[in-house]
Amino acid sequence: MAEYFGSKVEDIFNTMEERFLPEGTQDVDVVIGYNVSGEGGGYWKATIKEGTLKVETLDSEPADCTVVLNATAETFVGVTLGKSDAGEALSSGDLRVDGDLTILISVLPKAFRPFTPIVRASSIVESMAERFRPDKAEGVDIKIGYDLAGDDGGAWTIVVKDQTCTIKEGLDDDCTVTMIMDAKVFVDLNLGKIDGAAAFTSGQVKLDGDIAAAGLSAKLFAKFEAEGSSEIQGEELISLKCVPSINQRYATGPLMGKWFSGLKDGKFYASTCPKCGRTMVPPREICANCRVRADGFVEVGPEATVTLIDVVHYASPDPLTGKIRQTPYTALFMVLDGCSRDESFAHDLNPKDINDIKPGMKVRPVWAEKRTGTYKDLLYFEIAD
Amino acid sequence: MGKKKNRNVGIIGIGQTEYSSHKEDQNQVEMVNEAVRYALEDAKITLDDIDCVIHGNMELFEMIHQPDLWHSLGSGAFGKEQLRITTGGTTGASLVCAADNLVASGMYDVVMAIGLEKLQEGHTTGGITNMADPLWFRHLQTGALTATTATMMMEEFGEDRAKRAAMKYRIMIDKHACLNPRAHRRFGLEYDQAEDLMNTSPQLVGELRLIHMCSQSDGACVMIFASEKKAKELSDKPVWIRDHITAHREETFNCFGLDMPEMTHHYAARTLFGRNGITDPVDYFDVFEMYDPSAWWGLDWLRQFLLLEGDEHIRMLEEDEFDLDGKLPVNPSGGVIASNPIGATAMLRPAEAAMQIRGDAGPQQIKKEVKHALASGFGGTMWTVLMMLEKDLDW
Repeated sequence: MAEYFGSKVEDIFNTMEERFLPEGTQDVDVVIGYNVSGEGGGYWKATIKEGTLKVETLDSEPADCTVVLNATAETFVGVTLGKSDAGEALSSGDLRVDGDLTILISVLPKAFRPFTPIVRASSIVESMAERFRPDKAEGVDIKIGYDLAGDDGGAWTIVVKDQTCTIKEGLDDDCTVTMIMDAKVFVDLNLGKIDGAAAFTSGQVKLDGDIAAAGLSAKLFAKFEAEGSSEIQGEELISLKCVPSINQRYATGPLMGKWFSGLKDGKFYASTCPKCGRTMVPPREICANCRVRADGFVEVGPEATVTLIDVVHYASPDPLTGKIRQTPYTALFMVLDGCSRDESFAHDLNPKDINDIKPGMKVRPVWAEKRTGTYKDLLYFEIAD
Repeated sequence: MGKKKNRNVGIIGIGQTEYSSHKEDQNQVEMVNEAVRYALEDAKITLDDIDCVIHGNMELFEMIHQPDLWHSLGSGAFGKEQLRITTGGTTGASLVCAADNLVASGMYDVVMAIGLEKLQEGHTTGGITNMADPLWFRHLQTGALTATTATMMMEEFGEDRAKRAAMKYRIMIDKHACLNPRAHRRFGLEYDQAEDLMNTSPQLVGELRLIHMCSQSDGACVMIFASEKKAKELSDKPVWIRDHITAHREETFNCFGLDMPEMTHHYAARTLFGRNGITDPVDYFDVFEMYDPSAWWGLDWLRQFLLLEGDEHIRMLEEDEFDLDGKLPVNPSGGVIASNPIGATAMLRPAEAAMQIRGDAGPQQIKKEVKHALASGFGGTMWTVLMMLEKDLDW
């Protein structure tokens, strides 16, 4: 099976259950499909519903999913491990999402602890050559056998002679000592998760041969360190995090005051230029073209002609509430009846009209029942039939 | 129009960091310091030769109210005369304009300008959204994301042709970026991926897709400017700032009505070229470093800046005229789509254009001689800076 950045695609799915956070997903109901191409790839499906998780391996492309993530095996593992930039993978098309990307962004961090690479017995054994300490091996001539059971297991012989170390696959017949255990126990011992003496005592580790040689082997090799941990110990990059929350209060001034009090009454007021006659909406104090005070008012609308339509898929935080906006939503540009032709006004569209709205259509305002003189008095515009 | 200036101003030093999405191992002070050192080395001078330091970033993105407290440490500006400039997306270009004005006026002989941004430390879209007009529009704003231009171009040129053209522009820019060792995003896109990207890249707003949009980058750019006399003394190949214009004509986001006003880019180009006697900018300029926040905007704005009509800009793109060996190479650096450290972004345009004139731009150097360069900056509604650079003092 192919490894990328030291991990297999299946590692990510096999560890999903242990990484799952039920408390973060009480109000979640999604089915996420995974279509991972290339060597080591495959099809998976994760069903997250009200604090429960079901992970399935599929034979064919995932169907009936809320959202499907498509990626090459290398991209998928890289992005999961943070070795590849998700934004760039999305931009380049190496990572593609069918359905609502925001579901993945909002659900995954709450649903799972981050994936960390699985340390395999084979990589620990392979690292022994690098970890070998010749200065501790003067006069030592031994063969250490490892007989590790389980899926990630195997058999190896470590030969220490003339202050050198060689690693061979398979068990030699004449090992000084052979250590027999489950591959997982071997990994946990090396990661310091379980105590060697206790493992021996409890029978998790069995020794065949010279027990003293087993004791010696511990001194012959530097401690195993999982990938990344040595970098952290070497030079930790410290950064500070903060999320400011600031109360702000803006004066409207008399013109915007008139605008907002108009909204309260269900009316739109534009300011007018005494020189060129153009309207400005929402009202502005000065006609910038004529450089004169715009002191007149005229009621405009309530209907408007649509000029441009922006259907927003990118889920940004709503600055007025701090909550992530529901997408898609539609921002309309329009010219209110009675306004100058080059003076556009912008507001939300009734979500029900998102598929039907076209430039040139007439729209009408929908007002909140209780109005207090804020932008919320105007719920949205909708197609006027 | 050189006559308008009290004296001529030359660019004598340029320094840039590499640009990336994360510079975890550097803080702002160190990032500034790196670019300052490169610029001083490039100019072969020391800080003692600098009379004044100007620095700028969009401090509200990182939310540090007096970045100069840090940046003076990084730049060596402590004890020197200083200015700080923040004009949104155009900050970097405004820094160059200010440096030119300060030197041309006779106020200082040698000025160093520093533009930087560490967007990793903030959130651009969050920042822009949260700082929109609080009385009307903040509830609608989504950072700098909008598909209005995409929609208008599809209406004018047909959906298929417009989408293909925008994607061709995007891939061309990536091909340029791949040559630039400092560029942040270098995907290695190929033209045969266009169809796939057009359909599968995630939509941000309407037909503005993730692949079309500019990056958010960390990085700093430093430029050093000197009076004609000093520039000739200190530098073998000063690049001359001929003229520049800063225009801002939109009062609010009210410019999407039934009748469209003249776009500020067009106004700026028409005015600047008019007063410099340039009637055919495509013919006159040898390179254009344009502030292109997205592929749609980049392509559309070529028509405005180059005073082209109808579909001339699209035809030029389709005929590869904006490639490095085309009639008017556009953004050999990879532009804003590839690297966008906002306070430095608009400074990178004249910086990269000046390097093209010097002939030492690196792997993205245009093969034929570059004598006349155009550079633009953009921010906010349509705040526009347009600048002309020259190899020779002969206009």
